[in-house]
Amino acid sequence: MSDVTPKYKGSVLRPLKALANLWREPATLPMEPRPAAPNYRGFHLNDWKLCIGCGTCQEICDNAAIRMVQIPDLPTDAKAGVKPRRPAIDYGRCCWCALCVDICPTGSLSLSREYIHVSSDIDSYFILPDEKGIHGLGFEKGWSKSETSDLLDHQRQEMECLPAEEALSGFGELVPGYDTQAAVLEASRCIQCGMCHEACPTGMNAPEYIRALWQGDREKAVAEIYRTNPLAQVCGRICTHACETACSVGRRGAPVAIRWLKRHAMDSVPPDQIREIAIAGKAEEPSGRRVSIIGAGPAGLTAAFDLAKKGHAVTIYEARSKPGGMMRFGIPEYRLPYHNLDADIDVIRASGVEILCNTAIGRDVSMAQIRGASDAVLISTGLWAARSARVPGTDHPRVLSAIRVLEAITQGEDFGVPRRAVVVGGGNVAFDVARSVARLQKARYGEVAMDVIALEDRDHMLADEEEVREAAGEGIDLFNSWGPKSIQINDGSIVALETVRCISLKDAEGRFHPKYDESTMVSHAADTVIEAIGQSADTSYLGKELVEALEWSRGRLKIDRAGRTSEPWLWAAGDMVEGPDVVHAIAAGHRAAASIDEVLAHMAVKPGNVA
Amino acid sequence: MRPENYKPVRHPPSHEYELYFGPNHPGIEGNYAIRVRLKGDVVQEAITDAGYLHRGFEKIMEERLWVQNVALVPRICVPDPVPMEESYARAVETLGGIEVPERAQWIRVLMLEMSRICAHLFTFGGNAATIGLYTNMFWGVTMRDLFLDIFEEITGARIYHMYITPGGVRRDLPDGVLDRLAAVLDELERKKPEFDDLFFENAVVINRATGVGVLTQAQALAWGVTGPNLRACGLAHDVRRDDPYLVYPALKFDIPTATSGCSLARMHVRRAEVEQSVRILRQVMERLRTVGGPVRAHLPNPLAWNVPAGEAYARTESSKGELAFFAVSNGGPKPWRIQVRGPSQMHGVQVLERILEGARIEDVAQIMFSLDACPPEIDR
Amino acid sequence: MSKAVREGFQQAREHLRSLTTVGEILETAMAFEKAAETFYSGLVDKVSKPMRELVRELAEEETRHFQLFADLRARPDVEAHVKDRIARPAADHKFSNYVHLPELGENPDDQSLLQYALARETAAAEEYAELASTAPEGPIRELFLFLANEELEHKAELEKRYYELVHSGGV
Repeated sequence: MSDVTPKYKGSVLRPLKALANLWREPATLPMEPRPAAPNYRGFHLNDWKLCIGCGTCQEICDNAAIRMVQIPDLPTDAKAGVKPRRPAIDYGRCCWCALCVDICPTGSLSLSREYIHVSSDIDSYFILPDEKGIHGLGFEKGWSKSETSDLLDHQRQEMECLPAEEALSGFGELVPGYDTQAAVLEASRCIQCGMCHEACPTGMNAPEYIRALWQGDREKAVAEIYRTNPLAQVCGRICTHACETACSVGRRGAPVAIRWLKRHAMDSVPPDQIREIAIAGKAEEPSGRRVSIIGAGPAGLTAAFDLAKKGHAVTIYEARSKPGGMMRFGIPEYRLPYHNLDADIDVIRASGVEILCNTAIGRDVSMAQIRGASDAVLISTGLWAARSARVPGTDHPRVLSAIRVLEAITQGEDFGVPRRAVVVGGGNVAFDVARSVARLQKARYGEVAMDVIALEDRDHMLADEEEVREAAGEGIDLFNSWGPKSIQINDGSIVALETVRCISLKDAEGRFHPKYDESTMVSHAADTVIEAIGQSADTSYLGKELVEALEWSRGRLKIDRAGRTSEPWLWAAGDMVEGPDVVHAIAAGHRAAASIDEVLAHMAVKPGNVA
Repeated sequence: MRPENYKPVRHPPSHEYELYFGPNHPGIEGNYAIRVRLKGDVVQEAITDAGYLHRGFEKIMEERLWVQNVALVPRICVPDPVPMEESYARAVETLGGIEVPERAQWIRVLMLEMSRICAHLFTFGGNAATIGLYTNMFWGVTMRDLFLDIFEEITGARIYHMYITPGGVRRDLPDGVLDRLAAVLDELERKKPEFDDLFFENAVVINRATGVGVLTQAQALAWGVTGPNLRACGLAHDVRRDDPYLVYPALKFDIPTATSGCSLARMHVRRAEVEQSVRILRQVMERLRTVGGPVRAHLPNPLAWNVPAGEAYARTESSKGELAFFAVSNGGPKPWRIQVRGPSQMHGVQVLERILEGARIEDVAQIMFSLDACPPEIDR
Repeated sequence: MSKAVREGFQQAREHLRSLTTVGEILETAMAFEKAAETFYSGLVDKVSKPMRELVRELAEEETRHFQLFADLRARPDVEAHVKDRIARPAADHKFSNYVHLPELGENPDDQSLLQYALARETAAAEEYAELASTAPEGPIRELFLFLANEELEHKAELEKRYYELVHSGGV
């Protein structure tokens, strides 16, 4: 430890020391601005090609210096998560902290090495930065995105998954869902930009329920979810999550696990409470109008729920033994346990919807009867007819369709578990059937012998990545870029499926148009071939007369934007008119219900309808 | 320029009169003022008048996200901003139970000591100017500018670095910056004899500053004085040693003290502290060449970061004394309360008022500068 | 290829051996298009309404082709060559198979209808390409090349419709 005491070194001659400075070099500084450091935090730069208009910079700005400005003529793409907005900076407020740069999900924003702006024009301090900088001088980037300075949390909370061996041993649910802590942490990754809101077919305001979960208010989250989705237990598990594709956080990291968060909200609130939340706001008085819905799949159930809440008397006619449609008979139990589906349907029933199962149109009740008893009819009967590639041999009885096999598994029917099977198709249905049958193979024969052949290459699979990965773990072999050529039959039994190399999948316009190299062939030994290439709608139950009366377009029922057909009393929704997807069917159910409700509001109440 | 609410006192025939020092008086530092009642040349009474700088830092912080405050805290002390960033970050880290990576701790010490040198250089200049020695001021500011170049290189800004953030620092050091800092330190040491010659061995300084504005150790302790002002009274108290933080325990440095407690003693302590800071910096630079790893802990998305509920007090030895942030979280995304213990509050208000009594008018500015108060620390 | 198609193939081969002039080839080609048009038109009322649009479109396409041939036949530069005799490859006269329309069944579905139409377009395209390869340089070769290309384009379009239809549910 040192101690300092004042000391005096005086001398009469000391001032003369200054003379020494005469021989020093003058200290002269140039007038030009000195180049700023490579890391400098100067005026903003924004790469408009990278910027998606998410507005996160505006959110983090501590001085409210950033305002998102709508730019006409800029591309907008709700599916990809792009909004036609760009940040404008008010340099009267900006403090050049660069938090906007550090949080920017795309990395489009940076601060330049430019730091001089002198003007008496107050408007010149309010700029819309582009890649050229405030004066268009092309100053290079100063403070810009770096790995360490990134403020976003790019890593998703991990979701556990049953190990393959255990998964194969039955149809138990593969993923357990988040616990509360993981859910809150995952919810905290959300930047509330709302890209998901615009990307969701149902317009689910995910940021709202994510925020509620983050705040620990699960009931509020459930209420928010029920505003646009009455099948949330289902969607929280198997939704195709367009939201996550559009998620801004996913630009440079893993998108927020929006689907798993929805599931967490639904799993963590007791059923009674969910029912209470869901039915809140139901019309107190019955409207006196009757709506019949054919098909208890996602579209029909959604429309029924909406209409029942409006006070209409709703009856769903379902041909199968239980409601749910593809959600029950198409999606395997390990992805969507039946009791979760039942929980959603229970809420819909509790809203006052009557579901008549084992009631097929044309067999148990006629279309005319239904029409006579209803003010409006909605058909939502899905895509239950299977397509076949119709290559030689596909008429063999051991060439099965995926949808029939999945239905048989749900029903517990024996369809003859194959020893060696090949699934043709690269979508989720192909993997659903392959993995389901693999489980049965494991149980019956102790081993999995399953090939999946897909036209798509590995990077462009239609199926979800996790499906593909998990299937591989379960011992299913995937063969990419192969198309079915013929089925080899020996003594009446299938012995193999011949495949040819698919060299390209789409044409220049991006339309599906596979091209084959016929000289490259591979044979897959199998006793059963399962086709999972596509499905079509069977509308024969409508009856000849109605089919003739209705208008069609490209083989599908012609409907307006709300789902109304050319017959004013008939609406159609779901896979049968829009192609297969649960969440799109839910959205279509909402649109149809809104349209029906509007039409019913202007319709006189039939005598005898009021209960 | 007088404030509107200032009412001059009618001077009685006894030649008692009142002078208003500041807020933009050339002899006063920053934005606060002293009302001095004089009789002849001798100060009868001094009343500090703070409030010209009130931006309500503490209140604003409650309205901002935890991370957003990183951009606000350095403003609480312009000449010595880094300890603000450090204290705030450490308070948040304590609340959140966040481990700061080792490399970041070394970088933070580097920043802190550079900032101390800058602040002291600034004070040398200012102090000398109050007794008419302007060369010192130019030289001090010029020397400080060399450090600002290094700050600019590391943090992207010369004054408001906004570099230390909860969890570490915002980014790693740029390549080669340690070599350039070494050159600046060499330059500082080369210039040291000239500074000494101009100031500490200058008859004007010694005659004007010796025994002026004396603060006894008992007074200093009673009034809560910390930092160089306390050490100039002979008490070797230093937070870096007494309540160590970051990697200070691994560093070798002395705590300079003086005994007389006068203006000159305070400046001598600061001069010795600059030497110690250079010593620390050389050790830190040595370590930074070998210690690798991340510079920031993994933290949640700042827009939705709920810092666990609780209280934390994080103190740092700034160039003015014990600078501390007291942070209270109610488990939300924004602080529930932040209180800043600005060391200048003590020596800039109570102490100054006391030790000015009996001083001569020409020493007022000098005494005040030798205490090295930073007005925003008072107006928080 | 179904059995019916194979049989038609045999018969047509015998018949086409006698065709040797450009004029006759054009006549056959026109008959080929006409027959298809008649076939599709006849199908319109048999199929269910959802498929009718497709059948009608196919018929319209054939009418357009027929008209194209008729217009070409009338052009003076082609007229000058209709009497030219050209060598024909003996084997694989694909399009002639379809002059004799095979059985498609009373109630074909959309997929088989498109499969059938595709096979026709393929055969026609190959036939014209072969003719072009044997025709002398000049307007007649150009004509066949043009026709081959026309059929190929139509086939590609039908193929896309086919895949879109059949693989619609491949998710």
